[in-house]
Amino acid sequence: MNWLNWLSDFFSDPDHRSGPDSILHRVSEHLTLSGEALLYAALLAVPLGLLIGYTGRGVNVVTALAGAARALPTLGLVTLAVLLAGVGDTAVLFPLVALAAPPLLVAAVEGVRGTDPDVRDAARGIGLTHSQVLLQVCLPSAAPTLLAGFRTATVQVIATATVAAYVGLGGLGRYVIDGLATRQYAVTVGGALLVVLLAVGAQLFFALLARFALPPGVRAQRRAR
Amino acid sequence: MIRFEGVGKRHPDGTVAVEGLDLEVPTGRITVLVGPSGCGKTTLLRMVNRMVEPTSGRVLLDDTDVAELEPAKLRRGIGYVIQQAGLFPHRKVIDNIATVPYLLGWDRKKARARAAELLELVGLAPETAKRYPFQLSGGQQQRVGVARALAADPPVLLMDEPFSAVDPVVRAGLQEELLRLQSELHKTVLFVTHDIEEAVRLGDQVVVLREHGRIAQLADPHTLLTSPADDGVAAFLGRDRGLRGLGLRPAKAVELRPVDDGLRYGGWELALDDERRPIGWIDRSAGTAELQPSAGYRPDSDTLRAALDAAVLSPAGVAVALDADGRAIGTASREAVLAALTPAGGGPVSVRKPDPADAMGTPAGADTVGTADGADVVGTADGADGGR
Ligand SMILES: Nc1ncnc2c1ncn2[C@@H]1O[C@H](COP(=O)(O)OP(=O)(O)O)[C@@H](O)[C@H]1O
Ligand SMILES: [Mg+2]
Repeated sequence: MNWLNWLSDFFSDPDHRSGPDSILHRVSEHLTLSGEALLYAALLAVPLGLLIGYTGRGVNVVTALAGAARALPTLGLVTLAVLLAGVGDTAVLFPLVALAAPPLLVAAVEGVRGTDPDVRDAARGIGLTHSQVLLQVCLPSAAPTLLAGFRTATVQVIATATVAAYVGLGGLGRYVIDGLATRQYAVTVGGALLVVLLAVGAQLFFALLARFALPPGVRAQRRAR
Repeated sequence: MIRFEGVGKRHPDGTVAVEGLDLEVPTGRITVLVGPSGCGKTTLLRMVNRMVEPTSGRVLLDDTDVAELEPAKLRRGIGYVIQQAGLFPHRKVIDNIATVPYLLGWDRKKARARAAELLELVGLAPETAKRYPFQLSGGQQQRVGVARALAADPPVLLMDEPFSAVDPVVRAGLQEELLRLQSELHKTVLFVTHDIEEAVRLGDQVVVLREHGRIAQLADPHTLLTSPADDGVAAFLGRDRGLRGLGLRPAKAVELRPVDDGLRYGGWELALDDERRPIGWIDRSAGTAELQPSAGYRPDSDTLRAALDAAVLSPAGVAVALDADGRAIGTASREAVLAALTPAGGGPVSVRKPDPADAMGTPAGADTVGTADGADVVGTADGADGGR
């Protein structure tokens, strides 16, 4: 079979075993870029989302903006960012953050808003301050929803981080682009497969996290809804 | 003491929840706010811990205007129990109970030790500590809610329909438990309910409210049932209030005929076993040894209503007074019970204080204050009464 040969070619190529074009190096570049994008998106969207969800102010704006953001063409954003900021990490990070932030924002807002109003009322009534209610009551209650938001964002970012290669940066996109440019389809397919594997791995990681890292009370509550 | 002075609440949308209310909630007693839905009970209750700010008047807590106190700090000093319990779903029961101690900066060990104490106090098994709220029944959740409210030993307890969401049997148990706790802790309790039965059962003082938080009547339960202020209150109290009022008076007032005086009453004879426990009534005129069941009551813990009930049910028209071990200590004829109904001087006496042995959920021999082993319950109850 053709594509099996391609894959064995891809994985046995000595250049892909060690050095700057090695699989390990490209994967690490890819993950670093994705991680950075997620980190910035989280720092931006989660506190904002928690606050909006807690106060209930601006929820409609968030919903509308998040819907609109989904329609943004990532490649267009990269091009725009390169034009504005020049080739570099920022040019790639910007569209990836724009991609990851909306699901995180929506998850934070919805998660906090999903807190049982009686629990919030009781929390205030027994003497928690607003920030304590938000952090000790609403945040744990939002955890499952937030985790789901992170899963969506992570998968999207990992899949989309291939665009870094368009502007000359590293990551698994290199294989895809370089393979196409040099008509080495084995390389393109190998790169694409690695991206898929990473995305599936991320899905699995978050599924396990939701299964084992959430306190039982929160998990049960989510099941009940 | 909590004092409402000319308190009103008008919402921004123009709704008047409460208008010009004056009320004193005495220290160490249970005051119940009762009235139809929407009459402003919750609003009034929540003014005490500043969950609602009055738009006129003021609320004083031990002569300090609560408006001058920082809300979070004020609330940590006031127990708060709501209908749906409002437990934190992600925290184990023990940590739910310890919430306020944690907020007050107690160290973890001390807070948890205190929480474990409270778990026992509200009648929950020690292994409940490690459970999550969703693993508990509604009644158990309410007990945890009460324990959480009591954790930092606040002098004041606010309870907003805490038992309304559980079924009647569980509710009766929780009410019993609250009375038992109160007999030990003497909190200043402001209790909200729409259930008049619950109000007369729990309240030392009952405040019947109409719309806009206007007081229709403020009285002790007995006075309320026997002399409602007007037709409106009488209608709210419902049918049989005279009979229900008997449920508030102790059966002790009934004069007993000693068992030693013989056991014949007309054509009936009371049969006792070797331990003096009643076996039943024998119909002498029928000439058979067939036994009719005897009905009994406990003079030290039951109410006049129970005594009357026992007398009515008995074929001989005689209620048998029993001690804690079920031994006959005397008998009371229907006439004797009726004689006790007529208040001869001495106003209504409250039977608030339940017999410790009757309190549900108290493990036998648990070392909560005032709980005695079954064996010497009578002595304990007598002792407690003597001290009043
Ligand atoms: N936030 C609010 N805005 C407008 N009206 C309110 C608000 N909260 C309560 N009310 C009104 O105030 C009245 C009293 O409410 P509440 O104290 O909850 O009554 P209760 O507890 O006796 O059922 C009701 O008519 C209710 O609709
Ligand atoms: Mg209410």
